[in-house]
Amino acid sequence: MNQRPVSTSAGNKRAFRFVSYGLVFLLMACVLMALGALMQNVLPGWHAGIITGLLLFIVIDRLYTYGQLKSMTPLGREWVTAHAAQWIGIALLIRFLLAYVNGLDSFLRDLSGFARGDLVRFFSPEFIITFLLALLIWGLTAQFLALLDEIGLDVEVALHDDPGPIQMDIIPAHQRLVNLILSLGIGLVILTALTRLNFRATFSTPVGIPSLEWNRFSGAEAGALLYFVFGLALLSLSRLMSLQTHWGRLRIPVTSDNLTRQWGIYSLLLLFLLAVVVSLLPAGDSFGFFSVLETLFGFLIGIFVFLSQLVITIVILLLSLLMLMLGKAPPLRGGSLPPLFPTLPTEPVVPPDSSAFLALLRSILLWGSLLAIIVFAFIHFVRQHDSILAGLRRSRITNWLILAWQWLYRNAEQTGANLSRAIIDGWQSIVARLEAKRLLTRPGFLSVRSLDPRRRIYFFYLAMIRRGGDQGVARKPSQTPAEFAVQLEKAVPEAGDDIDSLTQAFIEARYSRQEVDSGKADRVKAIWDRIRRALQNKAKSN
Amino acid sequence: MSGSFLPLIVVLLVIAAFMRGDFALTLIYLVIGSLVAGLWWSNRALGQVQTRRRFSTHAFLGERIKINLHVKNNGWLPLPWLELREVLPVALVGPNRFQSVIHLGPRGEANFEYSVDARKRGYYPIGPLSFSTGDILGLRDSLQVETQAEHLVVYPKIIPFTSVEIPSYSPQGTLRHRLPLFEDPTRVFGKRGYTSGDSLRRIDWKSSASSGQLQVKVFEPSIALETFVILNLNAEDYYYRSRIDSTELAIVIAASISNWIVNKKQMVGMLVNGRDPLASDGKPQAIPPRKEKRHLIRLLEALARVETAENSPLVPLIQQQRYQLPWGTTLIVITGRGDDRLIDELYQARRWGQNAVLILAGRDIAEEPIRHRAKTFGLPVFSIATESDLNIWMQESKHR
Repeated sequence: MNQRPVSTSAGNKRAFRFVSYGLVFLLMACVLMALGALMQNVLPGWHAGIITGLLLFIVIDRLYTYGQLKSMTPLGREWVTAHAAQWIGIALLIRFLLAYVNGLDSFLRDLSGFARGDLVRFFSPEFIITFLLALLIWGLTAQFLALLDEIGLDVEVALHDDPGPIQMDIIPAHQRLVNLILSLGIGLVILTALTRLNFRATFSTPVGIPSLEWNRFSGAEAGALLYFVFGLALLSLSRLMSLQTHWGRLRIPVTSDNLTRQWGIYSLLLLFLLAVVVSLLPAGDSFGFFSVLETLFGFLIGIFVFLSQLVITIVILLLSLLMLMLGKAPPLRGGSLPPLFPTLPTEPVVPPDSSAFLALLRSILLWGSLLAIIVFAFIHFVRQHDSILAGLRRSRITNWLILAWQWLYRNAEQTGANLSRAIIDGWQSIVARLEAKRLLTRPGFLSVRSLDPRRRIYFFYLAMIRRGGDQGVARKPSQTPAEFAVQLEKAVPEAGDDIDSLTQAFIEARYSRQEVDSGKADRVKAIWDRIRRALQNKAKSN
Repeated sequence: MSGSFLPLIVVLLVIAAFMRGDFALTLIYLVIGSLVAGLWWSNRALGQVQTRRRFSTHAFLGERIKINLHVKNNGWLPLPWLELREVLPVALVGPNRFQSVIHLGPRGEANFEYSVDARKRGYYPIGPLSFSTGDILGLRDSLQVETQAEHLVVYPKIIPFTSVEIPSYSPQGTLRHRLPLFEDPTRVFGKRGYTSGDSLRRIDWKSSASSGQLQVKVFEPSIALETFVILNLNAEDYYYRSRIDSTELAIVIAASISNWIVNKKQMVGMLVNGRDPLASDGKPQAIPPRKEKRHLIRLLEALARVETAENSPLVPLIQQQRYQLPWGTTLIVITGRGDDRLIDELYQARRWGQNAVLILAGRDIAEEPIRHRAKTFGLPVFSIATESDLNIWMQESKHR
């Protein structure tokens, strides 16, 4: 066999590492963008910009040190020392940078406090939150990199992770990467939505269901959108790496030299096309689609809030009674209002739209997407639960429904076929009449070449009738094509066969559904030329 | 895998509901778009792939068969990757599969050539070829399509016999014979002087007139060797320790004898009680005696395909078949082990006017009693333990 060996060049590996690390960095940057925006919205007093920058630095640090740290034995002496040194450094950097932002005096105060052992001052809420976020970002970045190694960036790890017969239920690394990107994406979308929420206005009502108020564009939206674009790009790259690992494991040779390059081109093309299509689609509300959803979700949340408040009120009431029994003052004195039951949803407010067509388009798109999602979810759910499918098959109602569907489908198919046949017949009849009329009335202005093969045959036949009429063999309205052919053959016996052939071709073209190709039309033209010459000769001889 | 998108889409829908569309709606388009585009692309592109395999479907033992595999993408959608796997018979090739990964651009095509060695007679499937591809983002499992396998026939080994002692009582054939009983009036051998008792019909009047003495024609005796090879592939009729080798040897003998007979321009037919993978009921059909090379190929094809069968006794088949064969036909029974029933049946055939030859292929510990019994009934028996024993038929006949 002339199979070529597996070629996984070092150049490719380096390129994969560079691109995948770059994409991980961009993904994390998008997450941090949303995190920073949220922090700015919720805690305007904090230094959101600095914290975001610090966290981005953590990402870079993790990307840089991952290779060195992973080679160490986990929880070994070297590993502990390296991690401890790094985290002490990071903690100090965060603390002093947060202090330095408030000015040199604040920085010096913090430094002196730290020197005196004033740890309470050192562990400010801003520092603790930033530190925890740093830990989170560090872990997330590491998770991305570990998965990429498992997928194929690290050949040793990738080949070592070959699922044996016992480990067949382990989720493949690529799928875990998809899950990670999507889970993080969900979090990011929620964060982005929160960055737009006007917290002060929303939670100004002490009791009852808070009404949501939204700020204008926060900047995190672009981050969320870019996150998914970069995420898809990373998925594409990881798919290629996982396939290459799979091929390497099974020793399947890759015979196309340009597979990697073409993969990159197709990925970029797909993402570009998606971006174009997405940017062209309407992104606003439609005929009440989101208004309906908002009303529904609002009502559900209202019920949830009402129940929560009810439980809290009952607990407080019980606590107050207990305190009164013990002779102490209750925690709340009568000032608290009872929870308000959510009002039933009224007709949703439909946003005005300038263009009815656009609104209709949006409506179709959105309701269509919703329907597709529901159907898609149902199909997947049933597929993942074989027992449900088996139960459905056994059920009489399902069988009855299937039979009913089959009956309906058959009838619809038959009706459709009949309808299309009737339409085709009607259309052909109309076309034939129009053509006949036009050909006879305006012969001089017609370009035969522009006609389709079927109509070209009509044309030659009609020309034969017209020329026949000129020679005194006029077709009577009552005559069939065959009868007229007999009459014409008597007048021009030398062209008898050709007249028969042309008549037959016309009958086929006019009354059958057989395909008429241009070759046949050309042959009919040749026949017509011979008939015409015969008719001309007859005219000359007369 | 695409099921992982559902929670994200639900969250996006909820957010879009509260924000009246906005960025969440754009994300819904992006997510659903990537999912749909990936699914559609892989489905559509795979449907456009066409494969064609070209090779010589028949081969003689020892030949090398080149298989040409042509893969074409008939559509405008490119296939970022296409994994091809073709299963090959392990008896013909070392790694029993051909596999490769290619990229096929729009209307792209690729050609592969690999070869298999006809090492062993048989009827081998080449394929099936399965090709798989998937979406570029890996959001769903790979799609796989399998094409049907084609078959390669490797003919059995043929040993070129030069003389096989096969008895025949069919007169006036094309084979010379020693007994004057089988004189063929169409084969004038020479002339001699008339002697009393010569038939008047044998007088050559022209030469008698020219020589002035009565001359009679001398005819060459000849026989027609219409043969029916009966190959027993009932597994129980072969010594279990050497069953595989013995049955293969029996097939080689059947093929070589058929070849020799056809080369002699005689008719040969065949009956096998093994298993034919092409027959609807698994039982090979009897092939009636015919001449010509084309007929030999038909016999060889049948011999290439047949395999041993369990519980397929030979005697009832012979009983059934021999009534359909003409008088004088020679039955060559090739088996691993004979028994009294077989000897009785062959004796009955002989009484019926047919000849019978018993060839015992392979080694059998209970061979001697059968030889003795066959000799009692006047049935010629040949014991062929190994291929080298066939040398007896590769030497020129002493009687020629």
